[in-house]
Amino acid sequence: MKCEWVKENVLLYVYNELPDDARYELEQHLARCADCTAELKTTRKFHTMLSELPVEEPSPNLVAASRMRLQEGLETAEQGRFWHRLIFDPAAWLRQVRFAPALAAAIFIVGFAGGIATTYKVVSDRGASIASVPVSTPAESSITGIQSISQDPGSNHISIKYNTVSTQEAQGSLNDQRIQQLLLFAARNNYNSGVRMDSVDLLTQEPNNTHVREALMYALRYDSNPGVRLKALDSLGPFVKSDPRVRDVVLEALIQDSNPGVRTDALRLLDPVRADSSVRTVLQELARSDQNQYIRSQARIMLSQLPEFD
Amino acid sequence: MAGQASGRIDDTMLVREAQHGNRAAFEELVRSYDQAVLRLALHLTGSEHEAQDVYQEAFLKAYKSIGNFRFECSFYTWIYRIVTNLCLDHLRKRQVRKEDAPVATDAAGEQYDVLDQVPDGRSGANPERDLMRRELGKRISHALEKLTPRERMVFELKHYHGLKLRTVGEVLHTTEETAKNTLFRATQKLRGALADMR
Repeated sequence: MKCEWVKENVLLYVYNELPDDARYELEQHLARCADCTAELKTTRKFHTMLSELPVEEPSPNLVAASRMRLQEGLETAEQGRFWHRLIFDPAAWLRQVRFAPALAAAIFIVGFAGGIATTYKVVSDRGASIASVPVSTPAESSITGIQSISQDPGSNHISIKYNTVSTQEAQGSLNDQRIQQLLLFAARNNYNSGVRMDSVDLLTQEPNNTHVREALMYALRYDSNPGVRLKALDSLGPFVKSDPRVRDVVLEALIQDSNPGVRTDALRLLDPVRADSSVRTVLQELARSDQNQYIRSQARIMLSQLPEFD
Repeated sequence: MAGQASGRIDDTMLVREAQHGNRAAFEELVRSYDQAVLRLALHLTGSEHEAQDVYQEAFLKAYKSIGNFRFECSFYTWIYRIVTNLCLDHLRKRQVRKEDAPVATDAAGEQYDVLDQVPDGRSGANPERDLMRRELGKRISHALEKLTPRERMVFELKHYHGLKLRTVGEVLHTTEETAKNTLFRATQKLRGALADMR
């Protein structure tokens, strides 16, 4: 009976994947069983034989060449990204795209948006004034992204495909699922920090909802505006004890947020969990070497309130 | 700022920076992982050229989608996932190609696969032993090709790159148990294919 179990697990043993107790049992059995010991030997031999197809270390040349090629690739990718950031404002978009005077003759812009075809044509003759043919008013439609830009080879004709969407309005209470979805979207995706602030503000009223909590954690981690981060932090504070993910996010904010106000707040909010080993480790590090004097002293105080551990 | 307590925190900071568009931070991350990635791709594809392609695709993909990384797993796992998926694609394509792979006959009248490439960095003073070694290597390579792409991947990650089965599971979006069973199946197939090797 035991032999069967051993034979099933000898492969895992050779790969060092057995948990300690199973490993111990197996070794004990092997000491008494010639059959199984032979099986182990065969397995080990096979295992070693497979190394006749050795894992080669990539040559320094290969590594260097790969890195260089990647750098080129990243540069191209970065330029592609630039266009993706241009959203919402057609005027700003036009301002950002610099037209060299030589790049004159004709630019055709064709847009697609679920039935709404917008055509914006700019014609210029050797640097003469640009005559524009306006189409749908920017107020009603906004550009959500540039899909593609291509230039006819050997000419100055450029065609740009962009997507537009029309603005809509949703109304309802905080309990409406649609409203909640939009708030979550706004907290993550809006380029206007005021809008993000408003949405996070409303979301703080519902931190028990999983999606809301995730959005708040996201805001704390990634939002560029410290006010928004602070708001999210304060709302998540009560959950450091019950939710380890929240604790970790707040810990992260304490360690690496660029804003001292956020860090100080994070430190304060971690007080209920100061005995947790990960928190304690961070506190020790902060008490020893943090640049911010207040944080150093606060960390020391919190540590001194802990019972002594070995 | 508080000093870095562990490599994990370093990664986190670099990832965050990269997410904010800091290309230098991304390149720093690349440098921590790229040799392992190259090693894996090289051993799996058997070709420096193809390994480079996998490398390029993997890190470009990572660069483009790093904004979606939510720290739900470690960056290590995330990168390995990307590379593994590309390797799986490669293996699947190879399987299809194999059906009409050009076959040639060598001096001894044995058929061999023209697409076979086995990296052989070791040239020793003993040419006979080298030849034997190369032969063995080729046979192992052949046997590995008999595995399904997933079996090959699990085996590759576990046996040749020492990843824990738990990590293998995470990388392949499955459980440790499934990875374990896949490993068993793969080993059994290999033993069968290489049974006549002393």
